[in-house]
Amino acid sequence: MKRKGQVFVLCFLVLAILAGGGFAQQKTLRVLLANHPYMEVLRPLIAEYEKQTGTKVNVESYDENQLTQKLTTEFATRSSTMDVFMTRPLQEGKLFFKNGWYENLSPYLKDSKKTPASYNFADYAASAVSAVTHKNDVYTIPLVTEWEVLYYRTDLFKKANLAPPKNFDELIAAAKKLHDPKNGVYGIVSRGQRGAAVTQFSSYLYNYGGDFIQEGKGAVVDTPQAIEAFKFYGRMLAEYGPPGVTNMSWAQCMAVFQAGNVAMWTDASVFLGNLKDPSKSKVADNVGVAMFPAGPKGNSPYSVVSWGMAVSRQSKNKDEAYKFLLWATSREIAVKAMVDKGITMARTSVWKDPGVQKKFDPQLADTAIKVGPIGKPYDRPLMTAVGEARDAIGEVIVLSIETKGTGDIAGAAKKAVQKVNELLKNAGEL
Amino acid sequence: MLDSRFVDRHIRILFPLPALLFIAIMMVFPILYTFSLSFTTWNLASGMPPRFVGLNTYIEVLKEPRFWAAMGRTFYFTFLAVGCETILGMIWALILNREFFGKEGIKLLLLLPLVSTPVAIGIAWVLFYEPTIGLANWALKSLGLMPLKWIADQNTVIPSLVLVDIWQWTPMMTLIFLAGLASLSPEPYESARVDGANGWQIFWHITVPMVVPIILTGIVLRSIDAFKTYDIIYTMTNGGPGFASETLNIYAYNLSFNYFRFGHAAVVLFFLFLIVLSFSFLVNRLKDRGHG
Amino acid sequence: MDKTRLYYKLSSFSKGFLFFLLVLCILIPVVFPFLWMLDASFKTQKDITSIPPRFLISRTMENYRRVFEEQNFLRFFFNSAVVGVSATLISLALGLPAAYSIARYRQETYRFTILVARLMPGISLLLPWYLMFSRLELIDTFIALILSHILIGLPIVVWTMSSYFQSVPLEIEESALVDGVTRQRIFVNIVLPISTPGIVTATTLSFLFSWNNFMFSQVLSMENTKTLPLAVYNFVSYAEVDWGAVMAASIAIITPAIILTMIFQQYVVKGLTVGALKG
Repeated sequence: MKRKGQVFVLCFLVLAILAGGGFAQQKTLRVLLANHPYMEVLRPLIAEYEKQTGTKVNVESYDENQLTQKLTTEFATRSSTMDVFMTRPLQEGKLFFKNGWYENLSPYLKDSKKTPASYNFADYAASAVSAVTHKNDVYTIPLVTEWEVLYYRTDLFKKANLAPPKNFDELIAAAKKLHDPKNGVYGIVSRGQRGAAVTQFSSYLYNYGGDFIQEGKGAVVDTPQAIEAFKFYGRMLAEYGPPGVTNMSWAQCMAVFQAGNVAMWTDASVFLGNLKDPSKSKVADNVGVAMFPAGPKGNSPYSVVSWGMAVSRQSKNKDEAYKFLLWATSREIAVKAMVDKGITMARTSVWKDPGVQKKFDPQLADTAIKVGPIGKPYDRPLMTAVGEARDAIGEVIVLSIETKGTGDIAGAAKKAVQKVNELLKNAGEL
Repeated sequence: MLDSRFVDRHIRILFPLPALLFIAIMMVFPILYTFSLSFTTWNLASGMPPRFVGLNTYIEVLKEPRFWAAMGRTFYFTFLAVGCETILGMIWALILNREFFGKEGIKLLLLLPLVSTPVAIGIAWVLFYEPTIGLANWALKSLGLMPLKWIADQNTVIPSLVLVDIWQWTPMMTLIFLAGLASLSPEPYESARVDGANGWQIFWHITVPMVVPIILTGIVLRSIDAFKTYDIIYTMTNGGPGFASETLNIYAYNLSFNYFRFGHAAVVLFFLFLIVLSFSFLVNRLKDRGHG
Repeated sequence: MDKTRLYYKLSSFSKGFLFFLLVLCILIPVVFPFLWMLDASFKTQKDITSIPPRFLISRTMENYRRVFEEQNFLRFFFNSAVVGVSATLISLALGLPAAYSIARYRQETYRFTILVARLMPGISLLLPWYLMFSRLELIDTFIALILSHILIGLPIVVWTMSSYFQSVPLEIEESALVDGVTRQRIFVNIVLPISTPGIVTATTLSFLFSWNNFMFSQVLSMENTKTLPLAVYNFVSYAEVDWGAVMAASIAIITPAIILTMIFQQYVVKGLTVGALKG
């Protein structure tokens, strides 16, 4: 029995190793992508890249939280076999740079042997590059820019004789008018899930004159302006939002919009393609997109480099990895992403491409032009412990939604401030 | 290979040895490691190694309201779930405790929730609870009742999760009680019937005392599993809305794999482990009594 | 005379009917979610979201096509099967001798150690395991996953089998001992063969619990070794909540578990209740 047992064990371990493909072949790249519309564009093209270069590319994709989790744990335990990865400069940038997990790309970009002139790095706007620059060096290639917009149902607006709201008062009025739960239409939706909600709430916060962090002072989400913003957001979603909004992140919001159950949705600008895709959306022909409405203190919605792509410093084939990075962020793919999916890419020249101009949604292009000079370059508190800070601030949002904005928002906001300040202090950032 | 006479003589050590070694490497060592981490502050994401801080991390965790809220919630979930399951399971077992055509078939059906993958079950219930398109609210509305927000409301999220747990685990309680009832010896019943006791008296004075040990063990075992519930909560709410369904398990997971604060996570795990260990002692005591 | 017989008949009939109703009250809530999932898995998205719900209307295989063709679920089936089968076999190899020894020599400390392993919250092991396996560069390999799943299977094997071995009569073994047969031979040639029912129980349960495990895969596996529960979960978390396909995936993952349970029903019942009954 004993010997039999040992043989069994051995057999299975050997089988397992073989099946697991534990031994890497030569010239293999491991690439981690986020579940993002851009991934849907890139992934089918990779087979072609493999054919052209002879490099095997293993792609994995995760939702954004899982991705951060995988990246952080792998890098921190120095067990990473990853070569190229999608990254959120605002979420992880500070931390990853501080820990030396990004490969410094500046030497590569300056080297004309590694970066052909046709790549044209100057194509990225200075503001986008600054978001991925640490101590004068570039660590990430900006991929997608996002700003908050208002998606709305053109058919419902037309029937109710409404124009897209220009400010918060009109927004509420429109939501109220279109709110018709008996017929399965809710006035407005926006994220209500704890941590996820914070980024989309940020534009509301800014338009009420609030902010997340003040230099040298720490968190300021308990100012009267911020509390007004929390109350407004909570009341709006409680009164005119679909039930269950406190469990909704972008995926659920998108699903209810596609199903035709909401009249308006405020979220990042990258979802238009999926909303207008007739195979996924029941309301594909009736989607409009407008500028984020202004608040009592003007209009400055966020406009950020939401995703970038980077090479891991722990990568064992950095040159191959960099080649892949150049290809994945090339102008051709950017054009394709804009044409096929309506993704708002960070390269400026693609916006002037004739193919893009013909196909790209003019309404969305209009918001891009308008948001340029007024947008805020961040949509979350900029710090290393972003995840935990988002959860703390998100709790205030949830409370406000649950109580229709009538709960002890000020008290909850104070607690969030304490928590965020504690995190800042622990990281030596306050 | 080992000399067979040597094996024969030392069989009481050699036979359990591989299993115990495995447990030592895969369980005891990790637990000790976690325990040692609990005296440090270590934020993996900071890129710095763990720093020894004595009991500081314990104090920080004990001062953290989120920890206590999670603790209370875990007990609330456990008591509510196991309480309902025990009562329901007993009623079901009493109903089914007789011979009838199709009994085995019913037992099979009772097994289904137990063996179904919790993740899949959780997802199905998410759709069931969906406030707009879900069946739960449709049923409430057609009965003329107010629709609820189920797992999307801080007040109803725990009872809603408990309902899933009840659905999944009441059959387990039923099967345990049924097996217990079947193992009872018939003599006391016969003599009671001779004495002219009625059905209720028989149940209360004979059945109950005999099945109490079985019920108790069942309850304790179930409590431990309910206490550790993870898959269902993670897939259905991930601790939300807000933190309203964040149990100790979920909190520990968030601390370790979302915030990467391993020192703090280790402290929470220490308390979790302590609670489960005391439950285990309880099971062992009950078992001992069973053996005696 | 007739009247009393009629009364008697009626009363026994109504009693039977009452019993039937009671049984129905138990069965409907237990079974309904499954039927409902099954029904939904054949519906289009539009039919699933329609209120009031309509049952048994659409018959589309589209959801299953998406699960198996677009999401490549066969691969995840394979992964789950490799992990489940290997972990179960190794658990048996390690657990059977241990259980025998525990049963025969009343090794209560060992029994308690195994009990703790059964009751341990898995989450408290994840963190050290993750660190350990990443040092050894074993993350996302079957080795790490199988090792972790043995910790699910082994306590089940020891737990069920030590009770079982205790119920095996000693006389046969004793007479063999007198004949000078070694204990390990007795174990392999005599005890194991007559313990087949117990082994079937332990095997089935160990495989089922490994098949259903989500937590360990969540941290220890990635693209190459992704198991079914993880694949189903990822399916929901991403993008459009495609309920039809999600239900199809859920049905696909619980079907093997249900078939296994149907085949080994008696054994599963025994295994699940053995913990609570006197050893």
